[in-house]
Amino acid sequence: MRPEIKEYNFDWMLGSILHAAAKTADGSHKEYERLLDYTPYFKGILAPIMDEGKPGITFLKLFSEYVNDIVHSRDQGKKLAMTTFCFSPAIFHALNVVPTTLELLTALGGLMWKRGTFDYLDYSVELGLTETACSAQRGALGAYLGGLATEVDFIVCDTPGVCDTNANSFAFAASYLDKPYYQLNYPQKLADDRTGKYHIDDYKEMIKFLETHTGRKLDLDRLGEVLEEIKKQDKLVADLEDMHQLKPTPIPVIYNLFIYAGRFMYAGLPLYTKLLIEMVEAAKAKAQKGESGLRSGKEKLRAFMCYIDHYTLNTKFWEWLDDHGIAHMGGILSRTFADGDCYLEGLEGSSYKIDTSSMDSMLDSIAQMNARLPMVRSIRGQYDKPNMWLDETLSLVKTFKVDCVLYNGTPGCRNTWGMVKPFAMELEKNGYPTHIMNADAFDDRVESWEATKERLDEFFKVRGLI
Amino acid sequence: MMDLFYDAATRIQSRPIMEWKEKGKKVVGYTCSYVPSEVFHAMDILPVRIRGIETESMEIGDAYFGPYICTFPKCILQLAGQGKYTFMDGAIITPGCDSMRRLDECWRKAGETHEGIVPSFFYYFDVPHKTAPHGMKWFTEEINHLISALEKQFDVKLSEDKLRESIHEYNKGRMLLKELEDLRSGKDIVISGKDAFAVTMAGTVMPRNEFTSQLGKLIEDLKKKKPSENDSRKRILVIGSISDDINLIQLIEKENEAVVVAENLCFGVRYEGNEIDETGDPVLALANGYLGESTCPRMYGKYKERLAALKEIIKRANVDGVVMQNIRFCDLHGSENGLFERDLEKEGIPCLRVEREYGPLVETGRLKMRLDAFLERFSS
Repeated sequence: MRPEIKEYNFDWMLGSILHAAAKTADGSHKEYERLLDYTPYFKGILAPIMDEGKPGITFLKLFSEYVNDIVHSRDQGKKLAMTTFCFSPAIFHALNVVPTTLELLTALGGLMWKRGTFDYLDYSVELGLTETACSAQRGALGAYLGGLATEVDFIVCDTPGVCDTNANSFAFAASYLDKPYYQLNYPQKLADDRTGKYHIDDYKEMIKFLETHTGRKLDLDRLGEVLEEIKKQDKLVADLEDMHQLKPTPIPVIYNLFIYAGRFMYAGLPLYTKLLIEMVEAAKAKAQKGESGLRSGKEKLRAFMCYIDHYTLNTKFWEWLDDHGIAHMGGILSRTFADGDCYLEGLEGSSYKIDTSSMDSMLDSIAQMNARLPMVRSIRGQYDKPNMWLDETLSLVKTFKVDCVLYNGTPGCRNTWGMVKPFAMELEKNGYPTHIMNADAFDDRVESWEATKERLDEFFKVRGLI
Repeated sequence: MMDLFYDAATRIQSRPIMEWKEKGKKVVGYTCSYVPSEVFHAMDILPVRIRGIETESMEIGDAYFGPYICTFPKCILQLAGQGKYTFMDGAIITPGCDSMRRLDECWRKAGETHEGIVPSFFYYFDVPHKTAPHGMKWFTEEINHLISALEKQFDVKLSEDKLRESIHEYNKGRMLLKELEDLRSGKDIVISGKDAFAVTMAGTVMPRNEFTSQLGKLIEDLKKKKPSENDSRKRILVIGSISDDINLIQLIEKENEAVVVAENLCFGVRYEGNEIDETGDPVLALANGYLGESTCPRMYGKYKERLAALKEIIKRANVDGVVMQNIRFCDLHGSENGLFERDLEKEGIPCLRVEREYGPLVETGRLKMRLDAFLERFSS
């Protein structure tokens, strides 16, 4: 790794920039305009977020606070847990543990820096991780492995049986850093009683692990508060989803990021609720006027991301959609799958219900919710089995009146690359033009944005969509 | 005798399998070492580990799998698509890793184009990634479900006594393989790594009784064999990704400068060292043996146990150096090899990490050069 990269910690650098960025809104508009001149690259992410007004500002502050919590966790006497995006942080918040979610930090690096997290991605490989391991973890992980981030206390993930390369990165980190490690493991089915029981048994074991390594008992009153807050948040996301069904959708492209990044950071905390309230208010105002969430105001097409977004070189991908009048109809990351959501018809068993009436019902709720987070929910089993990727995608594309489907992931995603071709064949058979992007969501060196853009142009042109 | 083992180890439609089929008996293929072969044996079904050898092209594998996938399942799919596995009456897919478990969908999807390639019994065997009580319970139930499905499909009834007898028969083979390992790793080398690997490989496809009987004879012969004098060959341990490739072992031993005295591969003896309990509930015993004792990297969080096991082999076999191979895109073994390299080199044990493709040794030149350089490293 270049020596200059080692001068400052990775998380501290992210935090410092976000801290300054979050203050932007506190100044005058003129000051903000001047600031953009001095941030020639960073403005590529700052401006699109600030353009969203109140929700954008709150989102920036949320992210700033999140990284700040990580950087200062030890000073505040809190334990720091390394974890993954498809694991709900609610249990950490209930136990006063700070989660550091590798994929979020890697995405941040990709969005904020022209160099992305390239140095850290490569450093992981220098230290023994395979270069084919998923970049989503590998970026931030390089910093942690190299001692260039706040030291973590323990590691928790929930991807064995769902995404091996993800689980493997966390297991590698635990061995390399010699840290306590717990893996929740999910069977290949989702909705049957036997699987449900496995979810709960495994989750209870994990709570024992967390209690051991935090030295504190799980406070059930606190867990109840966190779950009640999630209930509110899920309701607000459901309101946004309802509006997403409108044509044109009043939901701006970048709102999808706000929904899932906020959830991965602060599910169960009022900070995220505030963001969602502001988003609902802004979207409602547009919906009432029949306005599109797109900047151009003209919705030509509705695209569904059947996997994840693209996080390199600022918000280039989202801007491209916006510029072409393509509404982003969300992806697997942005859906909560809480009971009552508008897309659940035909997906019985895919959702969870929050019940805080007793200790057992709370544990059951949080375990089943965790098992229904993105990826661990529908990419655990064969794509064409009940409740899995195809069922879920078809339900979502119908609900949101989608015109086409885009797949984007990382070359490290053995799981989806192992089935995406037959999956896309099925979607095509069902009448949905489907494009498989070759880009790496977190590493622009794999396929340059220019090449990605060219293939997107080609897809939309050849299929006669635009 | 070695001809029999080599035939079974190097051909998909080998003589023992075809003779079994000629008798009108059933054959079921499986993809991973977590499937308890005793269950099939007790039902007079031949369990055959599915392999990707003999692959010459990849157009079918590439049509269904994405580009960033290990070549092992792609080779299997290619062969299945070409009809090489139509002798199988059933196939069992296991979530050994992400690439292997997606063989399920890709094989079924390819079956829509290539008629008759999907066996009538196509079964998914869900193996958990942990040995905690709920993991063991799940796996035990999975074995029971598999038994029920096989009974229904092949109209047979499995008794506890029959299963216990099969466990006994398999244990006999396990102990013989252990004896073979002791012979190959002893001070006086009486069998090449290539021959030993061929024998182990044959054990994954041959009818067990025949295999055990032939292996017993081989061991008796080896015990009488005079070892070569002043053997100065470097003693190598091979570990890592799935490998049923005898040519890889041959390449290491080619110039007679090295001999593979031990391996820790899932097609090899990794799981053959542990006897299954022959008393009590046989299904529970199988669950304990196949999952409870498991040491492959898919069982995350067990690195220390695996490292200790490797060190034990290195000591027992007096190993000079370790060849750590992984198929490209095998992150589990590839990353763990990185950790092994760090920890073993620290103790002065030379290690070579190589990434390769599965299938015909298209990279022989490159691999040979790296192996030569590795051997030179501790020859000087």
